[in-house]
Amino acid sequence: MAPFALDPALHAILRLALALLFLGASRHKLRDLAGFRGALAGYAILPERATGPAAAGLAAAELGVGVGLLLPGSAFASAVAAAALLSIYSGAIALGLLRGRRHIDCGCAGPGGGRPLSEGLVARNAVLIAAAALCALPVGTRPLVWIDAVSAVGGLAALALLYGAIDVGLANGARLRELRGRA
Amino acid sequence: MMDALIVSNVVLWILVIALSATVLALLRQIGVLHERVAPAGALIVRGGPAVGEVAPVLELEDWSGAKRRVGAPDTEGRSTLLFFLSPSCPLCKMLLPVLESVAAAEGRWLRVLLASAGPRAEHEAFVRHHGLERRGYVLSEQLGLAYRVGKLPYAVLIDEAGVVRASGLVNSREHLESLFEAKERGAASIQAYLADRGGERRVA
Repeated sequence: MAPFALDPALHAILRLALALLFLGASRHKLRDLAGFRGALAGYAILPERATGPAAAGLAAAELGVGVGLLLPGSAFASAVAAAALLSIYSGAIALGLLRGRRHIDCGCAGPGGGRPLSEGLVARNAVLIAAAALCALPVGTRPLVWIDAVSAVGGLAALALLYGAIDVGLANGARLRELRGRA
Repeated sequence: MMDALIVSNVVLWILVIALSATVLALLRQIGVLHERVAPAGALIVRGGPAVGEVAPVLELEDWSGAKRRVGAPDTEGRSTLLFFLSPSCPLCKMLLPVLESVAAAEGRWLRVLLASAGPRAEHEAFVRHHGLERRGYVLSEQLGLAYRVGKLPYAVLIDEAGVVRASGLVNSREHLESLFEAKERGAASIQAYLADRGGERRVA
């Protein structure tokens, strides 16, 4: 057994939660690829003709990570890929903030849910990257019992609700800044 | 002992989920409050050409490539409503049908021109989806700078002689109509009109 082994129940919760996150994210990107392409263009990092392939590539990568996290054989590679993808997003957001492009749509909230860039997004992604890193740790060999199923269901539900709350909170923060700036 | 721990664990999970749901619901309510506190009269933002000043004339190309002299006196004697918007602004999208109906109802004396800025790729899907190319859609950083547009959606009403008649942040049909009202009454804004009448009433 490895010296640092993650409890299998915690590993399962993190893996399922990240898989749901990535599947959800790829779903809204694939449904509105043109919108995501527009958001990518807003970052003004890639040349304009590269935004189309990049948007499709990122959406496909998210789908791959989401499915890969669900399959036992590819969980490690997918967790590493998830951390890498999230790091790329954080880098792009941080670069956007440094260049003062705060008003652009982050492209992370799906169609109709335009969110401007903020430091909060970078912080949220840092937590997600930490979760993905935990997920890539070796897993302990404790046998799972029925109470682990209670923990998994409870943990997933609480994480999903909290993620939703953070998302709404970030949107409210942006509106509050706008309201303050208007006075 | 073990049974007690299991019961306490299950009870705690139920409470954690209930609390998370409550936090989410509270944050959503704050979001609704933010929508409600948006200003109710088309709000004038400082800067840009004042009401009564001659509008800056800019030679711009619209979406289809046609040349437009934005802000110049109109040869057909119609006023121009410059509407600043962005594909990433949900309120702007909500106002598009309102703009269509205003353009149809006031078409005798008014033409509507949509203005935005940024790379064309960002606008491609938006313009196609809402059929905005026939309305007139210009992409120009200069135009936004000339009118000091800071908040969206923002509208400027320019009369047939090329004079700015009203301008402000518009969040609803009422705000848009308040611009027309301001032009008719010769007041800079509903706020200025009410202040002139010595009214203590606040519009916002």
